[in-house]
Amino acid sequence: MVTFVRCATAADAVAAVRDGDGTAKFVGGGTALVLLLQMRLVQVDTLVGVRTIGDVPGWSGIEQRGNVLWIGGGVTLAEVAGSALVRGYAPSLARAASVVGNVRVRNAATLAGNIAEADYASDPPAVLVSLDASVVVHDGARQRAVLARDVFTDFYTTSLDESDLVIGVAVPLVDGSVSAYRKFASRSMEDRPCVGVAVSARFEDGAVGALEVVIGAVSGTPQRWPEITERAWGRRLAAPLMATIADRYADAVDPIADIRGSAWYRREMVRVNVRRALEEVAASADD
Amino acid sequence: MTDDATTYPGREPLARRMTADAWDRVIGRFGFAVDRRIEGSAHAFAVRSSVPHGTITAIDSNEAKTVPGVLAVITGPDVRVDPSVATTHGETRQDQPVLAFDKVRYVGEPVALVVAETRTAAEDAAALVDVEIAELDLVVDHELAGQPGAPVLHEAWPDNECGTWTLRHGDAEAAMARAEVVHRATYRSPAANHAPMEPHVATAAWLPDGRLEVWTSTQAPYPVRRRLAEIFGLAEDRVRVCVDPLGGGFGSKLDLRLEALVALGSRAVRRPVRMELRRDEVFVTSAKHAATVTITTGADRDGTLRARIVDIVYNGGAYALSTPRSTRTGMIRSPGPYAIPDVLCRVVGRYTNTVPAGPFRGAMTGQVCWAHESATDELAALLGMDPLELRMRNVLRDGDLFATGEAMHGMRYRELVDAAAKGVDWDADAGPTRPELARGKGMAVVLKSTRTPSRSEAHIVLDATGRVTVRTSTVEMGQGAHASMAQLAAARLEMPADDVLVSTIDTHRTPFDTTTSSSRSTLTMGTAVERAADDLRRRIDELATAGRPGTAAPTHSNGAVTVALPEPTVLRYEDLLAGAGLDELVGTGCYQSPPGAGEMDPETTQGMHTVSWHQGAVAVEVEVDVETGRVRVLRAHGASFAGRAVDERRIRKQTEGGMIFGLGQVLMEEVVYDDGQVMNPNLSDYQIPSILDAPERVGSTVLTDPDPDAHPHGVGENTVPPMAPAIANAICAATGVRIRDLPLTPEKVLRAIHEPAVRTP
Ligand SMILES: Cc1cc2nc3c(=O)[nH]c(=O)nc-3n(C[C@H](O)[C@H](O)[C@H](O)COP(=O)(O)OP(=O)(O)OC[C@H]3O[C@@H](n4cnc5c(N)ncnc54)[C@H](O)[C@@H]3O)c2cc1C
Repeated sequence: MVTFVRCATAADAVAAVRDGDGTAKFVGGGTALVLLLQMRLVQVDTLVGVRTIGDVPGWSGIEQRGNVLWIGGGVTLAEVAGSALVRGYAPSLARAASVVGNVRVRNAATLAGNIAEADYASDPPAVLVSLDASVVVHDGARQRAVLARDVFTDFYTTSLDESDLVIGVAVPLVDGSVSAYRKFASRSMEDRPCVGVAVSARFEDGAVGALEVVIGAVSGTPQRWPEITERAWGRRLAAPLMATIADRYADAVDPIADIRGSAWYRREMVRVNVRRALEEVAASADD
Repeated sequence: MTDDATTYPGREPLARRMTADAWDRVIGRFGFAVDRRIEGSAHAFAVRSSVPHGTITAIDSNEAKTVPGVLAVITGPDVRVDPSVATTHGETRQDQPVLAFDKVRYVGEPVALVVAETRTAAEDAAALVDVEIAELDLVVDHELAGQPGAPVLHEAWPDNECGTWTLRHGDAEAAMARAEVVHRATYRSPAANHAPMEPHVATAAWLPDGRLEVWTSTQAPYPVRRRLAEIFGLAEDRVRVCVDPLGGGFGSKLDLRLEALVALGSRAVRRPVRMELRRDEVFVTSAKHAATVTITTGADRDGTLRARIVDIVYNGGAYALSTPRSTRTGMIRSPGPYAIPDVLCRVVGRYTNTVPAGPFRGAMTGQVCWAHESATDELAALLGMDPLELRMRNVLRDGDLFATGEAMHGMRYRELVDAAAKGVDWDADAGPTRPELARGKGMAVVLKSTRTPSRSEAHIVLDATGRVTVRTSTVEMGQGAHASMAQLAAARLEMPADDVLVSTIDTHRTPFDTTTSSSRSTLTMGTAVERAADDLRRRIDELATAGRPGTAAPTHSNGAVTVALPEPTVLRYEDLLAGAGLDELVGTGCYQSPPGAGEMDPETTQGMHTVSWHQGAVAVEVEVDVETGRVRVLRAHGASFAGRAVDERRIRKQTEGGMIFGLGQVLMEEVVYDDGQVMNPNLSDYQIPSILDAPERVGSTVLTDPDPDAHPHGVGENTVPPMAPAIANAICAATGVRIRDLPLTPEKVLRAIHEPAVRTP
């Protein structure tokens, strides 16, 4: 029998998972966990429901806190996708949330659960890395922020402790930045990504002030090569430069092969989609 | 236990209103087979082979039996030594054990059955049953299975042979040698899963007097009854099969599935036993035949088809099921709906260490239509002709001889081709689009037959309250069959269709039907229902005019008759029955295919194959992203010949829905095997189309026969098989690349674009 406990405070939730000593797990929307339980890939005695947590400010909200965009641990992907704040400040994140699975999943799934699940074939992680976002966790005693790029360490693995509760995501807001996310699905439009490309950039006088390109779903964790993107700094993001970056990324990735595509195909999709994502940000910068 | 309603409080009254079921479905009030609960049921879970091919050396269920709640563990070897259970069974060959006992032949084959108080306990215990298997060499590929030295699945069939037939019409080899242009190519299609939304489910209960009752999600109530009777050595009327409406079937619920397992379980624990498959079990329970089809076509330079030679290998999987007979059906349909003077077709089914294959919507036809319709376009390219024109020139017309030697009648192919083409503005330019996007149009036609011989019986009951109920064993599975039956009966009785009830299926009360398959029900059961309605009407007329010879036949309206007595008098049905002291009045009707129909010459497959040929055409417009290989179907238009139409809206739903269903097998569906293991037995790894994948514009044309005495034609499958070749043809029109193995994944398309070698000239 599995017991379901609803927690009113973050500390209670953390304690419940910690006391379970490997037999208790947080559950947000349950969209990932229920499947794992059904397939018997995960065995638990206690599900610790976190949607009811009431003592974390902004737990179920999306708000601007100075130069940070805050998305609480109880916020669903549908809410992220629909939020005017996210659409305005981090359009790539709104986009990524809007293309996860299907509407039934997005209505239940939380961004926090997506991060904790750390499935390599996910949309939001690459975007969070590209935006230099931090994942804010509560360990029962205190909070700490971990850079998204340090959270994802391997297939289905994060650097967080099992009893670390994700209480929110903080996205730094940078003046004049633009972003884009391209999800490439090779089968149904509702499939997980075969390749995801997240780009965020800042332009100064028509030249690249900063550029970040992060690839998702091609290996265990989101992939980025700053040494490639940094070469674009100070230059105009014109077609040949975009093609060069795309080719370099395609050369740099070491893609996995799975049911959504071979390594060869993924590499080609990195090439095409990096270029197209760069074109998108270049176009949005021109607007 | 008795069979009355008090023992089974969950059991609904026999009759229910079917015409207005849409609302119930939408709000979740509709009762599906999976919703059936029989009080006091225990739950069964199968222990399945994890080895594709091997010899069972030991089964240890001791630990499983210690799991709290476990009532029984039944193993293959237990059943083997039980003289009251047939060792093997099968529709065409007795090659399949209820539980594997000496050998296992595919991953997922049931080896033992655990029965417990709860499904969870049964599942937990099943994981603890230790099955030792000595592995044997395996073969998954049907082409390899036919090669000398291939691993043999069944000793009785040393070449893995599972259905061999030849069709000979004229002298195709000689005609091919004379042909001015010859085209030859091989087309492959993989195993696919039917993916019905509702998993297979069944509950069985033995009554104290040794009768067996089964509630099951089957498309074939009477065949299931016969098979259970055979397996357990019972007279057929000692077995009762009840069927609630299904949440989809598509052919996956035609053969015996869980029924013998739950019957075994129930006998062991002396309680009703229920079994409901998990999604991964659905994937190892039924499949579409993978196939390889080589097709050679000879034509004149002007495009007149002269000869066709077709060689087909179907992958039957580990057990025969219907494959030994259905391979012949597939072969007969393989030349396509064309007038070709000389035709030679050869087919062989092969046993392999894969999930046993069976009918899949468009049964045995998707595989061959994929070949002949791709070949038609390839030939058109060789000839420098518009593929539409090549079809127009050669499609069957009235009086043409088909490959079976039959003279064809009621052929509407030219109109169907024309309608499908118009539906996608065949001649119009694609219009401007982005440079990386290429657009093209493609089309395909199909010829299907319905199962022959076959029989359907219907009863229509008028009860003392004046209620009219159709008793039919046609299974409602979302296709709207019951609505059609109500409508057909209502028309004959001149009452609103909503006032006609259609029973759920119970072989103790609803009469015989061959199966709900093969797009046959509207023709065969529909005819039986109309005859039953006529018979009931005649009986009502007799009551109304009894004792008054010479009275004119009454008129019927809204459940009442008007009789001239001599003043016109209105008598309600229930009053007529009350007046005559009757509890009910029953009209009966039967459809039976004519003698000799379906009997073919065993050497040449010449003869009258079917009572009804199904005709369909599909045209599509696609957009190919030439940088990613991703194909989007922008438009799809299906055209179908419905004969006498019962309800045009339902025909359109079948025609248009069939294209969306078919789209999946074209673009993404494939059961992937690695070393005999199914690698994608869930709906995340095995994808079916979502609404976002459906074409933006889906249209249909329904051709009908205005003659009120014409018979209805099956329309359930006519647009499924042509989807694959229509899309492949459109991809070729857009990009110049020709792909000959399904599914048409973006990766295959991109590879072909990158490798000019596979481009057609
Ligand atoms: C049909 C389907 C399609 C999908 N398609 C996509 C897709 O296209 N792209 C994509 O990116 N994803 C996809 N997903 C995955 C989906 O995004 C995740 O299942 C979802 O985001 C998980 O969130 P949840 O709230 O439901 O998490 P849960 O299922 O509740 O939990 C998931 C994991 O996170 C842990 N967890 C939950 N909340 C917290 C918390 N606050 N702090 C710490 N740990 C926590 C749980 O213990 C568990 O280990 C799909 C899922 C399904 C079912």
